[in-house]
Amino acid sequence: MATTAVLHSEWIKIRSVRASFGSLIAIFAVTLAITLMVFPTVGQAEADNPGAEPLFNAFYALNFAQIAAISFGATAVSSEYLNGALRISLAAVPHRGLFYAAKTAIVGAAALIAGLVTSHATFLVGQAFMGEYTIGLSHPGALRACIGGGIYLALMALFAAGLTVLLRSAVAVLSILIPFILIVSFVVGDVANGAAEYLPDRAGQQVLHQDPVGSLGPWGGLAVTAVWAGAALLAGWWAVRRRDA
Amino acid sequence: MTSIDVKDLTKEYGTTRAVDRLTFTVEPGRVTGFLGPNGAGKSTTMRLVLALDRPTSGTATIGGRPYATIDEPLRHVGALLDAQAAHGSRTARNHLRALAVSNRIPARRVDAVLEEAGLASVAGRRIKTFSLGMRQRLGIAAALLGDPQVVLLDEPSNGLDPEGIIWIRELLRRLAREGRTVLVSSHLMSETASFADHLVVLGRGRLLADTSMQDFLDAHSHARVRVRTTDPARLRATLVRKGYEVAQSDDGRWLVDGAKAEEIGALAAGEGIPILELADEQASLEQAYLALTADDTEFTAVSPTTPQEV
Repeated sequence: MATTAVLHSEWIKIRSVRASFGSLIAIFAVTLAITLMVFPTVGQAEADNPGAEPLFNAFYALNFAQIAAISFGATAVSSEYLNGALRISLAAVPHRGLFYAAKTAIVGAAALIAGLVTSHATFLVGQAFMGEYTIGLSHPGALRACIGGGIYLALMALFAAGLTVLLRSAVAVLSILIPFILIVSFVVGDVANGAAEYLPDRAGQQVLHQDPVGSLGPWGGLAVTAVWAGAALLAGWWAVRRRDA
Repeated sequence: MTSIDVKDLTKEYGTTRAVDRLTFTVEPGRVTGFLGPNGAGKSTTMRLVLALDRPTSGTATIGGRPYATIDEPLRHVGALLDAQAAHGSRTARNHLRALAVSNRIPARRVDAVLEEAGLASVAGRRIKTFSLGMRQRLGIAAALLGDPQVVLLDEPSNGLDPEGIIWIRELLRRLAREGRTVLVSSHLMSETASFADHLVVLGRGRLLADTSMQDFLDAHSHARVRVRTTDPARLRATLVRKGYEVAQSDDGRWLVDGAKAEEIGALAAGEGIPILELADEQASLEQAYLALTADDTEFTAVSPTTPQEV
């Protein structure tokens, strides 16, 4: 089997299903829309608050981007679990390792490109409305945050993708991850420090801070998110290898 | 060689044996009908042949190789398992393109099979707008995509209109004529009788028959002769004297059980009884199949415990 052919096929599959391709586009589109709504209106007022963190606040819209990234990872995979579509895919590519690696690689690459474009765009577009508070890419940690933010979105997409393979349903994964990120992580994170630092979203978002608090540091935090994503992908691989299709 | 070889194949789901030490070979150059009631293990066997499910024991190979080891398998083996499996959100062309690209099948084959399946005009429509018959045609188009030497189709005539049924029948006959290996499952007997040369019959996961269509009909149907005469009274008297059981059918013909046309013909000639019509009754596949499954006492049980086809 030719690897490039299988990769190309997986890209066609993502591209040709509205839910997955729409989510991929939404990573960028939703973030840009939120940026354009928030920064011209309340951007400067927020920056005026005592204790405002100009760099982290610049990535406010990534909160929405990560929902889209999770949706993308979940729907890109879940299309294989609708009505036994996986059987068609595995009959075409019976080498399950190659099939899974190609799908993961395409999901990761697409999310990474969309994520990098998005994090740079939200930073640069948002700052255009910040007037006297504007920071540039030369601001300490800004470039690192832009790149790290893109990687973070890709890792969240992969995390969702791995879980979706395991649970065979995007609905299940979205109804676990989205409340988790919107509520649990938010509440728990504020209540209990320590362990909460190691939650996938909390850890990964350290890279967006100019001076990350806690023990992980910007790249260490991202590495923790990578471990979460890697664990989900390994669990997914176990499921693909072991299960009858 | 491109035969499908199933050897001692067994598949258990929990404590249920869906496929039970199955051994048979599907030869090229003919259409093999794969028969059995719902839950007999036909679909499971096909999934095992395609390495989608793992057998509990035994092997299934195509051309001597396990399916999973075949490089770019769509170029050698085409399968339709479930017409509903194609993702509804894709267009028919994109569905086939994704499959073709993965096996480096040239893009022109996509258009060729869409044309062949009569779907060229709806190639750009989303599959969810398709009727069952159109999905079935798309599934068959996907099976033919790589111009494969081996074709496996699970219930291909499901949902097809009469035109579609004629199309699939002629397609299957043509594929066999071209020397390909064709395995087609069905529970529609008259349908199967119209295209199959050879039969593999399953019941409760076990092999009940692996034989040519004609042998199957001969073995599982009893002889009966249909005869029409201008002198029914004498014919009847003669036949009864010879120990035949005679019955009059609604249309004025006489039916002689357990007899061959040549016996009755000779007898009538000897007696000088004029015969207007004389023929062996052709048993239908349905009758033969029911006779076989009735022989298998387990089938008198109402419902098989094996899982339903998916």
